[in-house]
Amino acid sequence: MKPKIEVENLNVWYGANHVLKDISMEIPEKRVTAIIGPSGCGKSTFLMTLNRLIDLVNGVCVKGKVLLDGKNIYNPGIDLTELRKKVGMVFQKPNPLPKSIYENIAYGPKIHGVKDRKTLDSIVEKCLRVVGLWDDVKDRLRDSAFELSVGQQQRLCIARALAVKPEVLLMDEPCSALDPTTTRKIEELIQTLKNDYTVVVVTHNMQQANRVSNYTAFLYLGKLIEYGPTQEIFTNPKNKLTKDYINGKFG
Amino acid sequence: MRLKCPKFLCFKDKAEIFLFILASISIIILFLIIVFVLNEGVPAFIELGFSNFLFGHRWSPYYGNFGAFPLIYGSILIVLGSLAISVPLGVFTAIFLAEYSPRWLSNMLKPIIELLAAIPSIIYGFFGFVFLAPKIMEFLNVGIGEVALTASIILSIMTVPTIVSISSEVIASVPKEYRKASLALGATKWQTIKSLVLPTAKPGIIASLLLAFGRAVGETVAVLMVCGCVPQIPSPPWNYLEPVHALTAAIALDMGEVSWGSLHYHVLFGLGVILLVITFIVNMIADFFIKKAPRGVQI
Amino acid sequence: MKTVKEKTVLFLLGFSAAILLLAFVAITLFIGVGGLSAINFRMITTSIRKGGIFEPIIGTLYLLAGTIAMATPLGLATAIYLAEYAPKGKINRIIVQALNNLAGVPSIIFGLFGYAFFCRFLGLGISLLSGWLTLTCMTLPIVVRGSQEALKMVPKDFRVAAEALGAPKWKTIKDIVLPTATPGLATSIILGISRVAGETAAILFTCSVFLTKGLPTSPLQPVMVLTYHLYTLLVASPGTSTDRAFAIALILLGLVILLNLLAYLIRMRYRKRWKW
Repeated sequence: MKPKIEVENLNVWYGANHVLKDISMEIPEKRVTAIIGPSGCGKSTFLMTLNRLIDLVNGVCVKGKVLLDGKNIYNPGIDLTELRKKVGMVFQKPNPLPKSIYENIAYGPKIHGVKDRKTLDSIVEKCLRVVGLWDDVKDRLRDSAFELSVGQQQRLCIARALAVKPEVLLMDEPCSALDPTTTRKIEELIQTLKNDYTVVVVTHNMQQANRVSNYTAFLYLGKLIEYGPTQEIFTNPKNKLTKDYINGKFG
Repeated sequence: MRLKCPKFLCFKDKAEIFLFILASISIIILFLIIVFVLNEGVPAFIELGFSNFLFGHRWSPYYGNFGAFPLIYGSILIVLGSLAISVPLGVFTAIFLAEYSPRWLSNMLKPIIELLAAIPSIIYGFFGFVFLAPKIMEFLNVGIGEVALTASIILSIMTVPTIVSISSEVIASVPKEYRKASLALGATKWQTIKSLVLPTAKPGIIASLLLAFGRAVGETVAVLMVCGCVPQIPSPPWNYLEPVHALTAAIALDMGEVSWGSLHYHVLFGLGVILLVITFIVNMIADFFIKKAPRGVQI
Repeated sequence: MKTVKEKTVLFLLGFSAAILLLAFVAITLFIGVGGLSAINFRMITTSIRKGGIFEPIIGTLYLLAGTIAMATPLGLATAIYLAEYAPKGKINRIIVQALNNLAGVPSIIFGLFGYAFFCRFLGLGISLLSGWLTLTCMTLPIVVRGSQEALKMVPKDFRVAAEALGAPKWKTIKDIVLPTATPGLATSIILGISRVAGETAAILFTCSVFLTKGLPTSPLQPVMVLTYHLYTLLVASPGTSTDRAFAIALILLGLVILLNLLAYLIRMRYRKRWKW
């Protein structure tokens, strides 16, 4: 299996706080990789290092390498715009932009230089169809995105991320704000996404990790405790901590 | 490898360079203000001597007497008088708006009270000069109507919005749980407010009246028009029915007539320095109290 | 059950609020009644030499226009730089703190500075240009502070969302942050203008004179301004020209109330528009 992302000796500090400790792992292409662990273990921070959104945090310090297709994204000359086009992200809380439904999706392609109206229209329709929102909103594309329900907003955000044709999709607990029905829909969506994208999903829900992912990494107190095929992690964990966590003894 | 930690002169894009230049211009200009006022004002302190200038009892610039004490005293007298009126009025109104009045009434009253702060000071001066001063003369049976009391009343109206808007915000931000707990113990609404809400809101209320003090002491035109502009210490010193003079009024009255670079000119900037020092100190103390106010309150 | 004490308290509190309302009504009535009976179309459009107030009205508009043209770009740029770009360290905090303090500096100090720096040091003399520059200095801290507040109100989620899509920082600001903050920015500018419109102390010795030969034809000439004109009418020659004084006061009061009403309405609409 060809790795899409290789993380080598990654360390992150928030001020004096060492939040990620010496993490090394390979994330395979066109598979779903789940990151699990108790809250505060550094899951979200880890995700943000993969598209350098962590740069937005004040007083952060990152050491180590993150290779995307063999190129270190922390190299000085790297083009952040290009990087984030390749590595899309979906957040815990749906965060639509204060624009219309249409503009939310079209914003990304526009930034990256798509100007043609028809191309934009087709991107919007295609992305909304992928997330199963098209039929609900096709008649009100000009409405504010805030008029959608929370679940719809989250699907809109996924569509928005897909609209820039990323190669990797990072998802930070994408279902934590949603009801069970919508959660199931999004899980199904993740399953279909892996045919075209490399998906990394952070979750605190172990059943979810089990259901959607091919590989699972267990983080604890900023350290990568165990990483392997999901099947193995859940049926036959090698580390006692992993076992305890999966059996619900802590977390 | 280490992520580039933000440096002062490390630009992300062209927009930032452009914004940085404009921002620097405005920040530099604003700092120039302090520099220039000090530069022109300090010679007065040197030439006259610090204590002669600050505590000299005679202000008659055309005879070469530059004792700023009557002006400082007048300013403080007027401002304290205005606070004596605006603090109870303002705090009571704030309590009324935050605790008692129905929503529609608060929504109507707040913008009106805030408008009081927006009315130009020349209008207040006009009102005080043409309407209030004659009334004072008539009712209190004094020789002239432009006395310290008139200035205090006008200033109190001008600065009361500061007290009302900040205080009502601080009072409203006292958590509901406190009140519920107190009311559940059988306290009446007023007892709850008096013993619980007001003490919690106290730092914010103090900050609001300090800010009002700062505004009042810097007020120029309105004060000039109604204080009488007589540089004297009233007798007895707390007599509000005598005309006084103020720092700001003296600067405004004389500045148009002094020759550039003369001692009188530097003395007027010296008065400006005194004014700056007073407002900075007051604002700093206010800041200190704001930081102690309940969280979420922004001034 | 309400005790007597509770009722007394309520009466006292309500009474205080009523006094403030009364003060507002008294001032507006005083100016309104006096002004409305004095003002007429002829007065507004007639030259000052023939008993009108035409030049001060236009002069005030000149003064306002120039100040807006200078203070708005400078103020917005400063606010955007400080809120969005400047490293969030100690220096930033000190600058913001200093700006806050300057917003509390009495306007007469700006007048002193304007006279010493613009009129004398730079040799611009008593002129419209000196007035613009002085008033720009006076409004800058107000505009910067208000704009910074407006920018801070833009939820962080929006910025993160745009940056995650690969938007460069300035594009995020231009496309997302500024449109969202526009009502707040507009409010802060309008309130700045309102302060300039009613300002007297800062222009006393920087740009205005009692009488000029008509309107200024260059920014280096002095200008007649409503506030200053009213001031001289009252202080230098009390009792004469009462009609003109009332008319000017009415125009000033009306202008300031309108501007504040506008700011208020924008704020109200803004609150309703987005639900985040």
